[in-house]
Amino acid sequence: MKFLQGKLSLSGRILLLVAGLCLIASTYFPLWYMSLDAPQYPEGLSMIVFMDHIGGRIDIINNLNHYIGMKEIAESDFPEMQYMTYIAFGLAGLAFIAALVRRVWFGLGTLVLLIIGGGLGMYDLWYWLHRFGTELDSKAPIIIPPFVPPMIGSNDVANFVTHTGFGIGGYLLGLSICCMIIALWRFRTWENKENDSKPTIQA
Amino acid sequence: MHKIKLKTLFVAVAGLFVGLLLAYSISSQISPTTTGGLKASKEGVSEDLIDAALKTYVPPGQLDEYYLFASGGHSGQLFVYGVPSMRRIRSIPVFNKESAVGYGWTTESKEMLGDFAWGDAHHPALSETKGDYDGRWLFMNDNANSRVARVNLDSFTTQQILGPVPNVYGPHGSVFLTPNSEYFMMASRFAGPIPYGTYSELDNFKEDYKGVMAAIAIDPKDGEMSVGWEVLLPPWSYDLSDAGKGVSDGWCFLTTYNTEEAYHLLEVESSQRERDYIMAINWKMLEQAAKDGKVKDIGGAKVIDPMDVPGSVYLVPCAKSPHGVDVTPDGKYFIGNGKLAPTVTVFSFENFMECVNTKDFQGEERGFPIVNYEKTRVAEVEVGLGPLHTQFDDKGNAYTSLFVESAVAKWSLTDFKVTDKTQVHYCPGHLASAEGDTVNPDGKYLVSLNKLAKDKYLSVGPSHPESMQLIDLTSSKMKVLYDSPTDPEPHFAQMIKADKIKTFEVYPKDEAREGAVYAKEDAKVVRDGNNVTVYMMAFRSRYYPDAVEINEGDHVTWYITNTDFDEDITHGFGIMFYDINCESQPGQTQKLEFVADKAGVYPYYCTNFCSALHQEMQGYLLIKPKS
Repeated sequence: MKFLQGKLSLSGRILLLVAGLCLIASTYFPLWYMSLDAPQYPEGLSMIVFMDHIGGRIDIINNLNHYIGMKEIAESDFPEMQYMTYIAFGLAGLAFIAALVRRVWFGLGTLVLLIIGGGLGMYDLWYWLHRFGTELDSKAPIIIPPFVPPMIGSNDVANFVTHTGFGIGGYLLGLSICCMIIALWRFRTWENKENDSKPTIQA
Repeated sequence: MHKIKLKTLFVAVAGLFVGLLLAYSISSQISPTTTGGLKASKEGVSEDLIDAALKTYVPPGQLDEYYLFASGGHSGQLFVYGVPSMRRIRSIPVFNKESAVGYGWTTESKEMLGDFAWGDAHHPALSETKGDYDGRWLFMNDNANSRVARVNLDSFTTQQILGPVPNVYGPHGSVFLTPNSEYFMMASRFAGPIPYGTYSELDNFKEDYKGVMAAIAIDPKDGEMSVGWEVLLPPWSYDLSDAGKGVSDGWCFLTTYNTEEAYHLLEVESSQRERDYIMAINWKMLEQAAKDGKVKDIGGAKVIDPMDVPGSVYLVPCAKSPHGVDVTPDGKYFIGNGKLAPTVTVFSFENFMECVNTKDFQGEERGFPIVNYEKTRVAEVEVGLGPLHTQFDDKGNAYTSLFVESAVAKWSLTDFKVTDKTQVHYCPGHLASAEGDTVNPDGKYLVSLNKLAKDKYLSVGPSHPESMQLIDLTSSKMKVLYDSPTDPEPHFAQMIKADKIKTFEVYPKDEAREGAVYAKEDAKVVRDGNNVTVYMMAFRSRYYPDAVEINEGDHVTWYITNTDFDEDITHGFGIMFYDINCESQPGQTQKLEFVADKAGVYPYYCTNFCSALHQEMQGYLLIKPKS
């Protein structure tokens, strides 16, 4: 378990700091978007998912979706939006502490938590895409086969082409994870009993 | 042998026949003889035509460069065209009812229209800041009922109708705005006894009948119009007006006819004098007089007697029953269009002021000094027969319509010589050039508003449409590019660069708006005695509520809010047999009021095609009979 006993070098600490800042920044930017194009909507209709709210022309999308019997998309149906921002801030805090205490095991713990959180977020997104696309009201005026839009990519639904992908916030999250991995992987140093108070800087 | 020869002959003739038929059909394919239709060859087409086609063709998906606002005359409406394509984009109801949008049916528009079902829309005027169009509002007069309307250019809807304005019989001489839209003047075409409703025999014409000019004040914040003050004028007919700008700011100019003060057979009797007048009015002086309280109340307006304000009104002689008066972009000249004389007369404002300051007068009439004509006039330009109106370009040229000659004359403001003339079809009234009555005209395009079309379009019977002709001003010779038919009857038009107009696309949500509901849970029917209020919500493709039960004799107030906050998704609302229809634009709340005086079942439905399930957008109004 030598690995866990390591300490972070200055560069590693900076990377952890950057990881924390990316996490905080990601709460202000769109995580994921869906843009709908149709002949009569040449300007496109977009749904933009943030950590704590949904932006874009969700009112128009909802109104159009009722024709195919899709459940109305409302922020109140996503309880995770109430606390996702806090989780991000919490993880950022942990990353800062890790940078401060320099303990690799602490940083690793933060990374694991972040990866679990990110994974759950992805699952959550997939779950909702699946649910909205397949649980269509059988009494809807227009019946279309159930569908699941991809997380990244394009999909055809009736007269709409949907384009989906991650937003800046999503990429910042990814960047945050990458920074942590690189920091923990490459920028470690080992405790030297004689030189405990003078860490070797290894960049 | 014979048989074989006969057979050969038969085959040969049949072959020839088939060949001819084939040749004919092929040749008719190659060069079709009918005019029009799709033909995409430039062969045999003159360069001029190709040039005109390229200059006016706006391909699908592309937008015009200018808006053209043309008055609809006695149809009461306002037409919106795109230039250079001359495509009609919109007709805005102003003084007329328009069922398609519910104008004249909704409570708000009914109140605006009052008791009048028509108006005679003459001169649209775009609001100005520092003498340039600012794209905020358009004002237009109703010559028939002495009213004036404001159209807001963020929504292209009529938002205010003011009037009848007291004491002004037939305000033909409006709307012409001062450079910062402080005022526009409304001058009476008809002399009449004031206030309205006063009776006086025609024999008392010279004493009891008055000409009046009203100054309509405009609130710079929201464009709200109000009657500022009025000034009493002689019983002459005031034709058109224009406001001074630049050096002449603070003055306004009116043309007069019938200074003969005739009241029968005006065609002859009012055309006796060689010269009538352009009246020059110092409106800033009169404004001050009104502030100082030199007014009396007539018919609810503050009316100034100009005899109490010496130096506020002067007369400038001008040949002969002049029609339009137009101030040049720099404000240095004002131009009288001779109508019954083949000239436009150019007056120098500087010389005019010199006459005023040195009291260089050649007489007076009805107490008003007549300035020295020889001194004030700088040129009489022989433009041609029947000059009515003049517009300007960016290169120091003026363009005058010649009604009798069916032509437009181009002449120079530097040497006052006619440099070009082009035929138009037929009998032009006003002209509108690109931003042509501002301090900063664009040149480029001129539209001739022709009164007759005759043979220029497919015939529609004894009366033909009016005709607007687009003229290219980019070269030294004017060129007619395009003919565009129009409904009765554009008198004047304004052309403004398209990017100066900023529209909004949906009405914003406003919970405080009277009668608005934005959630189906809030849609309801509320009864108070026999007053019933319906708060209805409309969105693709349903109404909440879609069944309304009331009693015969109820007074009904019906609000419709369109909660599709989506550009161009407009819903209609028509009730069968109740003579009711209106539209509700995206986000808009409309209000209708009626008495349910017929019992029975009355379907209501969306009248403005909104969606794939538009046909399903319907409901029932159930009116229980009195037992």
